[in-house]
Amino acid sequence: MKTMIKTGIAALGAAAVTAWSAPLTFNTALPVQEGGYVLREQFVFMKNADDPTPAGRDMKVSGLVSMLGYGVSRDFALFGMLPYVDKRLSMQMNGQEITRSARGFGDLTLLGRYTAYEHNAPGRTLRVAPFLGIKAPTGQDKARDASGLLPPPLQAGSGSWDALAGVVLTYQTLDFQIDSQLSYKLNRAANDFQAGNVAGFDTSLQHRLLPRNLGTGVPAFLYAVLEANFVHAARDRVRGIADADSGGRSLFITPGMQYVTRAWIVEAGVQMPVLQHPNGAALRNDYASLPGFASTSDVNRP
Amino acid sequence: MKFKLLTRNILTGFFLFLMAGGVLAASPAYRLYVDGLSCPFCAYGLEKKLGALKGVQRIETNIKDGAVIVTMQDGLALDEATAKKAVKDAGFTLRKLEAVQPIPPNKQEGHAK
Repeated sequence: MKTMIKTGIAALGAAAVTAWSAPLTFNTALPVQEGGYVLREQFVFMKNADDPTPAGRDMKVSGLVSMLGYGVSRDFALFGMLPYVDKRLSMQMNGQEITRSARGFGDLTLLGRYTAYEHNAPGRTLRVAPFLGIKAPTGQDKARDASGLLPPPLQAGSGSWDALAGVVLTYQTLDFQIDSQLSYKLNRAANDFQAGNVAGFDTSLQHRLLPRNLGTGVPAFLYAVLEANFVHAARDRVRGIADADSGGRSLFITPGMQYVTRAWIVEAGVQMPVLQHPNGAALRNDYASLPGFASTSDVNRP
Repeated sequence: MKFKLLTRNILTGFFLFLMAGGVLAASPAYRLYVDGLSCPFCAYGLEKKLGALKGVQRIETNIKDGAVIVTMQDGLALDEATAKKAVKDAGFTLRKLEAVQPIPPNKQEGHAK
């Protein structure tokens, strides 16, 4: 049970890193104008089941991830991500189905992204941006129910200060956009539990469907999106001992759509597992849906 | 005869006055060629940066050509260094700036500042 939602939480965190005109499940290197804000709201629903044990565990996580980005300078942007989550775990115990749940604000992630390389040409841009962040334990990590203290992965917060780092590459033209990201999340211990570190490789292709031919002005773009996410999660540690039923490797694909206007974006996607190799009896992921909305504003707005 | 000549002169003078007024009312405009501009969301950020410049009256972006036409208020000019900085702060690169034929107010379709 400790590990069943780990991948889901990782996906929730990854989704929170996304930004405007960007992949659905990870970051982009596109700029935030100096002094400008970008707000993104993403609804996430994940289902993890396919339990190999008699307990028949079924885990559902729904949440709203709020992301606010701010352009400190033309090359440096700060992002803050805060999820609100509702986690529910159902399982069979002594012939009866029991459900344990928790809800509330999760952990706040603060991320700094610096554009280290940039090449602009007519109608296209290539950017490479490393990023570094911390996750603060702002969420509740000692929630209880009638059965006692909820297990760490069911808590809204982890209770630990964690770090994440990575680099994202974006190549955008008027017709398509490619993003790729390498990331690593270093999880620390809290409450005798330490989630395994998570390494990820993500890539995304966005292709403009509409308008088919660009005319004058700035028309809204409709993009078809296809993303792939590879996640390697190390084993969790309970009181310093590795949990054999935790961690593993997964590959997901996420088809989706994005409608991008001057000032706002609506988007939707469904993340589905292609390959899953969980360790031991760790739960598999069924799917995650990722509808969302983004808008931008500017502190210098007249 | 004299009355007809006087009327013609008055009408001609009035017409020339209107013409001159129209030319004077047309604001100075510039076409900015911007590299790296490749999505609508990015165009918005650029327009906000340019719109914050003093004297900018109107902005019209053509994303296909990577061109932004900036119309200034009467008597105000846009120098290249200022435009370059605004474009840079928005995250893009100014390739070229050129003065263009002023756009008559009734034909402007861009976004007012």
